Amino acid sequence: MRRWVRENSLALFFLGIFLAALVAQALVGHSDFNNQQLAHQDPTMSLGRYLTSSAFMVDVMENWQSEYLQFTLFILATIFLVQRGSTESKPLGREGTESDEQQKVGRHARPDSPRWAKRDGWRLALYSNSLLLVMATIWIGSWFAQLVTGRVVYNAEQFDHHEAPLSLWQYAGSSEFWNRTLQNWQSEFLAVASMVVFSIWLRQRGSPESKPVGEPHGTTGAEG
Amino acid sequence: MRLVIAVVAVVAFVGCGASGDRAETEAVVGRFYDAVSRQDGEAACAELAEATVEALESQSGQSCRSVVTRLDLGGGPVAGAQVAATSARVELRGGVSAFLDREPDGWRITAVGCRPQDGPPTERPMECEAEA
Repeated sequence: MRRWVRENSLALFFLGIFLAALVAQALVGHSDFNNQQLAHQDPTMSLGRYLTSSAFMVDVMENWQSEYLQFTLFILATIFLVQRGSTESKPLGREGTESDEQQKVGRHARPDSPRWAKRDGWRLALYSNSLLLVMATIWIGSWFAQLVTGRVVYNAEQFDHHEAPLSLWQYAGSSEFWNRTLQNWQSEFLAVASMVVFSIWLRQRGSPESKPVGEPHGTTGAEG
Repeated sequence: MRLVIAVVAVVAFVGCGASGDRAETEAVVGRFYDAVSRQDGEAACAELAEATVEALESQSGQSCRSVVTRLDLGGGPVAGAQVAATSARVELRGGVSAFLDREPDGWRITAVGCRPQDGPPTERPMECEAEA
């Protein structure tokens, strides 16, 4: 058990702090929501009702979609684009989806390679892109969830102002939806660009996200 | 994949949870209009939010039950409702709307006899006969 925990400590740590942050967000979000409702002389909600409400869901979904977009784009862009000196880049000259030999698929697969890596046809094609497909699916799903729940929250304000509601398509073209979306995207893109560029010159001893401390700045794709 | 299914399920729950509320809001507005047509001011005022009753009384200087039956409400039978979180709009035939809030003891009307103004109805607040 102790060994299992140690060998999975990275995933367990992040899942743990994810759950703790989500619970904390739910509690303070509920308090903030009810404060806003009271300030507008609108009815408050119980915690249980708030957790299944669009008000909570839109705040969660708008952040999820941007995180999954970040990784979807990162996985996709690093197939074809490189950055000299960055740990986040492949070595220069290896742009593209690479040969079967480099990817250890088909007849180049090892005995302990994943089962579908040894196959041909759609199974190999699907498995070869499975990381990107799952990340992109979660991104699209959570972005759509942001659209649906964001519209409910927006229309609740419309009703408070005695205005007509927006259809899903009207809301998809609204400045409110795109403001929620882009304010998250820009920060994700900045974080990725920072990681790509900072890892050329800066080091963190012991982290695989950094080169070894003594590695030259020009080395690309080295991890310490 | 389980995560995706969970998200879809929650969104579906959030989206579909409103169907019972729609029927409830339509019933509240239906009862209000029935009471007004029977000249039963007390029953009509019971469907209004407290803040709406107070606004009506302070603007008219009369009790809600005596003034509510003389409002120019307009509109025909209930045509449909849209619910968004704790707020709702009920549309009546003839382009008239009522707005409601979900209060601890159920849905209550916050504005009634509301008609659109010139311009896009999503950008211009409606003018209402009675509102909080």
